Amino acid sequence: MTTNKVTFGFFDEDAKKEIRRASLKAVALPGYIVPFASREMPIARGWGTGGLQVTLSLITEEDTLKVIDQGCDGSVNAVNIREFIVSVTGVKQTMATPEATVIQTRHRVPEYPLTSNQILVYQVPIPEVLTIVEPDTAKQKEMHASVDYSKLWVLLYEDTSQFGDSRISSRYPVRVNDHFVMDPSPIPKYDIPKLNNNPSLQLFGAGREKRIYAIPPYTKVEPLKFTDREFIIEDFGDKCCERCGATDVYLDEVHQEDGVHFFCSDTYHCDTNKNEVEDAA
Amino acid sequence: MLLELDDVSKVYGVSCGNCLELTGDSSECAICPECNAVVAVNRVNLSVEENEIVGVVGESGSGKSTLLQMIYQDQKATSGEIYFNGLKDSNGNKLSLFNLPSGKTSWVRNHEMSMIYQNPHLGLNFNFSAGGNIAEKIIGSGEKRYQIIRDRALHFFGKIEMPTSRIDDYPEAFSGGQQQRIQIAKALSSSPRLLLLDEPTTGLDVSVQAKILDLIKALQYEMGFSMIVVSHDLGVINHLTDLTLVMKNGCLVEYGLTDQILEDPQHPYTQLLVSSKL
Repeated sequence: MTTNKVTFGFFDEDAKKEIRRASLKAVALPGYIVPFASREMPIARGWGTGGLQVTLSLITEEDTLKVIDQGCDGSVNAVNIREFIVSVTGVKQTMATPEATVIQTRHRVPEYPLTSNQILVYQVPIPEVLTIVEPDTAKQKEMHASVDYSKLWVLLYEDTSQFGDSRISSRYPVRVNDHFVMDPSPIPKYDIPKLNNNPSLQLFGAGREKRIYAIPPYTKVEPLKFTDREFIIEDFGDKCCERCGATDVYLDEVHQEDGVHFFCSDTYHCDTNKNEVEDAA
Repeated sequence: MLLELDDVSKVYGVSCGNCLELTGDSSECAICPECNAVVAVNRVNLSVEENEIVGVVGESGSGKSTLLQMIYQDQKATSGEIYFNGLKDSNGNKLSLFNLPSGKTSWVRNHEMSMIYQNPHLGLNFNFSAGGNIAEKIIGSGEKRYQIIRDRALHFFGKIEMPTSRIDDYPEAFSGGQQQRIQIAKALSSSPRLLLLDEPTTGLDVSVQAKILDLIKALQYEMGFSMIVVSHDLGVINHLTDLTLVMKNGCLVEYGLTDQILEDPQHPYTQLLVSSKL
């Protein structure tokens, strides 16, 4: 006879233990990619299963959950993942960044500064930063072990010599804790400085590639760049969000029939900013 | 002493333990009659001084390239030690290249040595531009300032007599001889102490061969580094090297001044080799 009792957090305890072990190892070795037994989830691989598994393994009854997709709480994927997690855990859900204790994200770091009470879980499509320059996984491991990232530097060199600066707009390689270079998931360059010395724990889950890695709180994270070249983030010039008027945020470029529009990428930030502006008026 | 090889051997396959004695110079081939293991290199001793140019000749399969690959740490030796440039461990004992910590291995390969392969596909990364290939070596030797890397890449690109306007082209846009010259620029860009050349001009037409040999010689004179040149072309050996070692069945059968070996070969195999010269 089989019992079909739903456990807290979807997984059985052994599965959670295995994912937690991988996460702990990842925290112990900042930026190091730890393999884990990525499980079948009720959503397809490549749609956030890595982040989902990390979130489910560490979430508790006391947690409050926020899920964003490119800064947006309301997109289909964010809503579905959030509702799934809530349905198997019963935790409180929120859109307010400061209220959340666990934030699962796809391709953005929230605008609102994070605290040491919060965990940020990234969904990662391609965890291995060396894949583009070295397809051989055995060689990749050797390169990580001997801190030999000269092939990544060559990409920067080539872009700089031909285009004046790196052409990488998202997934900009970062060096963690002066050792491993890692893929920060496809966040824009704009978010890279936020990784450095961040009070929150940052966990990265790649479900399809079966890998977990981490940036522990208050860890040094720096983008890979030549010492005589500056790291330049996106500049929106004099553009501001058409909805709330914010200028000091990452803006989404929306192409419509009547031209190009700019809006906040972070919807919670946009909402709060709009309310503050209206209250003041 | 820049490089010292101490009884270096390489056996492919499971050795019976007597392979080294049962094969070599006096026997017919390098395959052990007892266990069928292939002895590629058989107890080679060699020392190379600063600024010295050593040639390695021998028929194909005599272990020339394997010897070079072991020095460059592309392959591990079965037995024996290779000492380089007085590297010592924390107790002050001589440290073999095979016992270096992994970080140090890539340091030696990037800083101290360079290899030029017969096939440019082995020495160059065809996904990177010519300049990128040269930059890879410079970056590997520890330079992280863009302007210095770029200037040095341009400098060496000019040194190999290529128009600097082509530095951002990809290797497939160059001819075989040009690719070989880019390999030379890449190899020299980290100012290595030891340059290893594995059949650097085989497969190139004679006029290009002569140009590349002259280039290597001029750069060696200018920069001052030691070289080990593997070739089965006695003309190349005669043109480039001071000393020559002759290999047969993995063994070093004759070693001496290049002129002396070419004029007055002692070992029967060397005599055959010299008399076969067209």
